[in-house]
Amino acid sequence: MNIHDCMKINVFSVPATATVREAISLLVLKHIGLLPVVDGNHRPVGVVGLRDFLKFALPSSFSLQDDLDFLGDFGALEHYRPTDAILAKPVTDFMRPATTVHEDSGLLRAYSFMLLHDLHDMPVVDEHGQLTGIASRVDIGVTILADWV
Amino acid sequence: MLAILLSSLIFIACLGLIFSEKINRTIVAMAGAAVMVGAGKLLGFYSEQDAIASIDWNTLGLLLGMMVLVALLEPTGFFEYVAVSTARLSKGIPIRLFVLLGGVTTVLSMFLDNVTTIVLIAPVTILISEVLGTSATPYLISEALLSNTGGVATLVGDPPNVLIGSAANLSFTDFLVHALPVVLVCWVAALALLLFLFRKELRIVPENHEAVMKMIPSEALNDRRTAMRVLVIIGGAIALFFLHSLLDLTPSYVALSAAAVALIVVRPSMDETFKNVEWNVLLFFIGLFVVVGGIDKSGALDLLISLLEKGSTFIPALFGILLIWIVAGLSAVVDNVPITIALIPVIEGLAEVGINPTPLWWALVFGAGFGGCATIIGASANIIVAILSEKTRNPITSALWIRRGLPVMLLTCTIASLIFWFAYNHFAD
Repeated sequence: MNIHDCMKINVFSVPATATVREAISLLVLKHIGLLPVVDGNHRPVGVVGLRDFLKFALPSSFSLQDDLDFLGDFGALEHYRPTDAILAKPVTDFMRPATTVHEDSGLLRAYSFMLLHDLHDMPVVDEHGQLTGIASRVDIGVTILADWV
Repeated sequence: MLAILLSSLIFIACLGLIFSEKINRTIVAMAGAAVMVGAGKLLGFYSEQDAIASIDWNTLGLLLGMMVLVALLEPTGFFEYVAVSTARLSKGIPIRLFVLLGGVTTVLSMFLDNVTTIVLIAPVTILISEVLGTSATPYLISEALLSNTGGVATLVGDPPNVLIGSAANLSFTDFLVHALPVVLVCWVAALALLLFLFRKELRIVPENHEAVMKMIPSEALNDRRTAMRVLVIIGGAIALFFLHSLLDLTPSYVALSAAAVALIVVRPSMDETFKNVEWNVLLFFIGLFVVVGGIDKSGALDLLISLLEKGSTFIPALFGILLIWIVAGLSAVVDNVPITIALIPVIEGLAEVGINPTPLWWALVFGAGFGGCATIIGASANIIVAILSEKTRNPITSALWIRRGLPVMLLTCTIASLIFWFAYNHFAD
């Protein structure tokens, strides 16, 4: 059993020329958490997801605190909307490097990569580096566990 | 002559490297110390024994004791509790928040390490600003500038004060009698100036100002019991600081004893507690003591002392004021600790040739304390808030800092100079 057997094949992606608004629209429309950003040959050049856009509303300064229990209300942050200028920016301005896995990869190997890089979804590529699927921690985890029962 | 040239060159190279920030300042100090002792042994002007003797253990003990106390207080959430309570008290009105946060940070940093206070208060300040939907910049800059200014008031408020107090045998009470009145005037003036400089940002009352009222200070205090115990011990240490000269105790003995009592009472994980102690700062001091000890032994400072001796003969008060401005100017661009460590033997040398050193010690306190406000690299607190601001939507730039900090430095140094001039006899006592 390898990652090819549990990945989602119907994978949504955006071209490197897409804007932030287009990427966010696709995330909302398809109710997904991560979008691979692909070049003209359908090869992943990066990824963008919920966390890359939600950081507009929740700045990284929040990571400075161990404990947020004392914040009863997030006030202005709850009403934050990005400006049109931010939404019009190219998605490549906000993408992270793509950590991909080959479709022949073993399940535990792929899962350990996700733990190591703090990923919840990971694009899967073929021998030409082209995007063929996407696998989540749940996809991989339940496939491993299914063998145990 | 070669010894003088070489030791001066090593010291200037250390200052230059610290200023460039290309290499960590502690590494520079440690390497500088090694090179200085090596050069001293080679040319016969400085030995390992001299190097050990040049280290001021009283300063290190006082710093270490206070660091341990703060390291025990830090995980209790006390600093966050204070910041959140302050925010509630301000009701989210920017001007009130500005004055209260600046005031609270100042009071804390008068008795506790400046850097730790800022490290713990600034992130909560950023959160409060985010919740209010305003820029954290005015609050962060004023916290750093006001705590730098306030720290000048006490023996333990600022590392240069610890150094000067130890070298000149100035007591905690001496600082309260001589430095506190000056600092009070300077602090109020600095606050007024900052309110003026940030008037645009502070004028707008945010729509979400009521959100701070939903903050729960008690939730920030993770360990009330430990916080209370450590605070009582810190209070006891401060009370003993008042009496240390009367009881013939050194401040370092008071601080280290208080730290020992706190460790017995709290019984923390030593690994965790000692992780919070800033060993790099202590090593930085040790390295610099050794470097400056080398220049002293080489005779380089004697040249400077004989030059200054001639200058100081015309008007002593003017000489003191000149010292305030020179030290302030240097402290604005280089860490004030090496400047202070280097000038201490110079003032001691002037005392040996018959010049009253007491007013010069106070001039050094004011110059080193107020000078750091001018630039983003002038004081550790400035660097910390600037780094933290990079995690916000409005990072603090060096240019902005000069526009806000330099006027504060000029104002506080001017006020200190005027008071120094008109109350010279008080400082000469």
